[in-house]
Amino acid sequence: MSGMIQGGWEFVWASYGITGAVMLIYMASLWVRRSDKDSSE
Amino acid sequence: MTRERVAAGFGVLGLILLGWGSYLGLFVAPPDRYMGDVQRIMYVHVPFAWLALVVFTLAFVYAVLFLVRRSWRWDALHEASLELGVLYTFLLCVQGALWGKPTWGVYWAWDPRLTTVAVMLLSFAGILSLRHFLDDPIRRASWSATATILAAANVPIVYYSVRWWNSLHQLQSSPETVSSSMVEPLRLNAFGLLALTVALLMVRSWIAADRRAAAMAPPLPAQGA
Repeated sequence: MSGMIQGGWEFVWASYGITGAVMLIYMASLWVRRSDKDSSE
Repeated sequence: MTRERVAAGFGVLGLILLGWGSYLGLFVAPPDRYMGDVQRIMYVHVPFAWLALVVFTLAFVYAVLFLVRRSWRWDALHEASLELGVLYTFLLCVQGALWGKPTWGVYWAWDPRLTTVAVMLLSFAGILSLRHFLDDPIRRASWSATATILAAANVPIVYYSVRWWNSLHQLQSSPETVSSSMVEPLRLNAFGLLALTVALLMVRSWIAADRRAAAMAPPLPAQGA
């Protein structure tokens, strides 16, 4: 027993994956909202 | 140089730094002595925590500036920082839950740090909702600025909660409190997210300014008038 938590990569990947996906979706939403304004001019 | 190019420059710089920092954090930095590989969540969790607090502090500053100066520029930046702060705090809670499960045994605990963060998320999300419900731009800006000033009182409480009360959550991580081998990915991700935040704040504030300008545009004359 080393006292170190073994494994847990699934939590690491989920954390990075969800963060990356949500940030990409948010950036895409900004792009769309900005494009909507440009096209309505 | 146009403002779009400045925002794009900050955005690209931010993404490069975040990619580099995350690579080092995931594949190069050593596992933590006790938390093992799970600790790698720190390289994304801590920068989001710092930036969430910074962005909400900015929201407070912009709210005060709007009420004092009465300039729409500050209202647009206020709206942008509110939205970004809510997004970052939501992600912060998700990352924290994913870190909490393997280390504490639970995704969530009503510990002082987690509870004050939940209050911060709900209060600022409420202010953002308030802005969507109010059609009158003047009322929307004034009411939400006042609410932000009140809600911002919780921001320093979130920061100091781990020092003031017995908390399951560890003390704040910083380059001074983590191993030197973990400093570089943490610093790269923090500066990367800072640069990306500058870009997102700029773009989101333009959208807010356009929405406000459209709402206050004079009505078009009737046909044939």
